[in-house]
Amino acid sequence: MKARSDAPERTILSARGIVNRFGKQVVHDKLDLDIVRGEILGIAGGSGSGKSVLLKTLVGLHQPDAGEVLINGKAVRTIGAAERSALIGVLFQQGALFSSLSVAQNIMLPMREHTALPGEVREHIAAMKLALAGLPADSGNKRPSALSGGMVKRAAFARALALDPKILFLDEPTSDLDPIAASGIDTLIRRLNDSLGITVVIVTHDLTTLFTVCGRIAVLVDGNITVDTADRLVRSDHPWIHDFFHGPRADGAIEARKASHGN
Amino acid sequence: MFANKPRASKAPSRPTLAISGEGDQLALTGTLDISTLAQAGSLLKELPKRGSSRTLDIAKLDSLDTPGALLLCGLRDKGITLICVSPEHRALLDLIYGLELEPLPKVAFVPRWRQIVIQLGKGAHDARHDAVDLVTFVGRAASWTVNALIHPGRLRPASIARHVAETGIHALPIIALMAVMIAIVIGYQGVAQLRPYGGEDFTINLVAVSVLREMAVLITAIMVAGRSGSAYTAEIGVMRTREEVDALEVMGIEPMQVLVVPRVIALVITLPLLTVFADIMGLVGGAAIARFLLHVSPTEYLLRLPQAIDGSDLFVGLFKAPVFAFIIAVVGCMHGLRVRGSAESVGQETTRAVVKSIFLVIVLDAFFSILFERLGL
Repeated sequence: MKARSDAPERTILSARGIVNRFGKQVVHDKLDLDIVRGEILGIAGGSGSGKSVLLKTLVGLHQPDAGEVLINGKAVRTIGAAERSALIGVLFQQGALFSSLSVAQNIMLPMREHTALPGEVREHIAAMKLALAGLPADSGNKRPSALSGGMVKRAAFARALALDPKILFLDEPTSDLDPIAASGIDTLIRRLNDSLGITVVIVTHDLTTLFTVCGRIAVLVDGNITVDTADRLVRSDHPWIHDFFHGPRADGAIEARKASHGN
Repeated sequence: MFANKPRASKAPSRPTLAISGEGDQLALTGTLDISTLAQAGSLLKELPKRGSSRTLDIAKLDSLDTPGALLLCGLRDKGITLICVSPEHRALLDLIYGLELEPLPKVAFVPRWRQIVIQLGKGAHDARHDAVDLVTFVGRAASWTVNALIHPGRLRPASIARHVAETGIHALPIIALMAVMIAIVIGYQGVAQLRPYGGEDFTINLVAVSVLREMAVLITAIMVAGRSGSAYTAEIGVMRTREEVDALEVMGIEPMQVLVVPRVIALVITLPLLTVFADIMGLVGGAAIARFLLHVSPTEYLLRLPQAIDGSDLFVGLFKAPVFAFIIAVVGCMHGLRVRGSAESVGQETTRAVVKSIFLVIVLDAFFSILFERLGL
C-alpha cells in the first residue's frame, strides 16, 4: 500500500529506492515514499527501525547507499544553500540551538545569512516567530542553556520556521513536553498547515499526535514503509502494526482522534 | 556535504511585488514573502502618495508568508482595511493578528567606564573564588589519591593504563623533538656569549646543567599541560554536559575516585618518565652542538659529561616532575567538573585549565629554584 502520486506537481518530495545499510544490517531496503504538498505525514516505527536515518536522508544530510530523494523534482543534495534554507526547515530532536547565541539570535541567523533585511525588521519577525511558537518575548534574550526542555523545543520550532519553509521536518516534536505543551505544539502544527499550506513531516512515537494531527501515517517495519490513513492502519493485519496501534496506550489516542474528527 | 552554489544564480526569476490601481482602488499584486519584504516596505511608504484610499485589495496576491502577514497586520493597525482577502490568506492573517506581539527586550546599555569597573570587580571576585576552589580541590584530590593508594583494591588499573598510554607513550615523539630543539637553542646562545672570554667549551656544561635542572622538566610539563591537561578537561566536561557525572553520583560512585584519581596517578607516573626521556634527548642535542660548533666528538662529549653534572642536577629536575604532574592533572580535572551545560562552557573551561596549569607550573618552578638555592643543591 504505497502512496502513489496522481500528478507530479502534487508530490512535493519523493524518495525512490532508498537503501541504507550499516555493516551487514540493512535499515532501509529499497524504500519508496511520496509526500503530498500540504499534507501532514507522520513517520512511526520502533526504536532502531531507522526513523532518524530516514529523516536525515530526506533532508539531504545523509547520503543513502542507493536511491535518490527529489524535492520539487530536484535531487535534494544538489539544491543550493539559499534555496534549501527557504525550502526545508528541521526541528532536531535535541533542539540543536546554537549555545553561543541567544534564542532571538538563533532565529535571526538564517535571516541574516539569506536575506538583506535590516536589523529591526529581523527583530520584529523574530518576535513574531517567538510568539507563534508560544514563547514570551523576554525569552528572546536568553541563552539556550537557560531554557527548560519544553522551551528549547519551542525555540527550535521558531528557528525551524525562520524562513517560512515549504516543508517542515519535525523530529519528536512532543517528546519531553508536558501534555498541555504537547497539545499546544499539535495545535500549532495544524494551524501552520491550515494557514500557510506548509507540508509537515513528523517523526514521532506520540500516538496522540499521530492520530489527531497527521493525515497519513508512514510506518517503518522490516526495512520498508507502509503509508496509509490512521483508520486503515488500525485494521492492518501486520503483527507489529497491529501491536503498535492496539497497545494499552493506544485507546486514549483513538478517543482523541474521534473527538478531534467529530466522529 | 552539500553542493553550495553561488548565491547570485539561485533563482531564475525573482519574485516581484507591485501596487496597481489609483485613488481609492489600490491593489497589491505578486508575491509578499521574506524575499520581497524589503521592497514591500518601500512600496507601502508611497501608499499615501498614490491615493487617499484606506483600503487595500489583496485578492491578486499570489503568495503570502508569515513575515508578509506581519507587515499586513501592521497596516491594519494603521487603519488600512484589507479587502477581497482569500480564505487561505484570511487564516494566516488571523493567526498572526491573534498573536500577542511584544518587541524583544532591549539589552540594558552600560557605559564603557562602568563595564571596566564591573569587570575589574568581577575579575577580583572570581580570582579569590578560584584560589579557594583550587586549594579545596587540590586537598580533596590528594586525600582521594592517598586513600586509593592505601586501599589498592580501589585503584582502577585499566583506566590508569589507558591514561598512561595516552599521556605518555603518544607524547614521546613531540617531547623528543622539543628537548633536542631547546638544547640547540641554549647551545647556540652559550657559544655566542662565552666565545669572547675563550670559555666556549663550557657550553657543554651550560647545556647539560640547564637541560637537567630546568629545561627538560619545564618543556615536558608545558607540553603535557597543553596535550593532556586540556584533554582531561574536555573529556570530563563532555561527560558533565551529558549528565554522566550526575549518573555516577546517583549510583553512589564518587566521581573523584573514578575520574580524577586514575588521571592524577597516571600523570604522576608518566611525567617523570617523560622528563627522563627529555633529559636524554636534551643531552643528545648537546652532543650535536658539541660536534658541530665546538668540534668535540661524541665520545669525548660522553667523557666530559660526568665532570659537568652531578647527581643533584638530575635529582632537582626529577623531583619537580611529579609535583607538576599532580598540579596539571588536578587543574585539568577541576575545570572539567566545573563545566555547566553548553558546548561553549567546555571550550572556556579547557582554555582556563591550560592557562592556569602552565601558570602554576612556572610559578612553582620559580619557587623551587629559590628553595634549592637556599638548600645548596
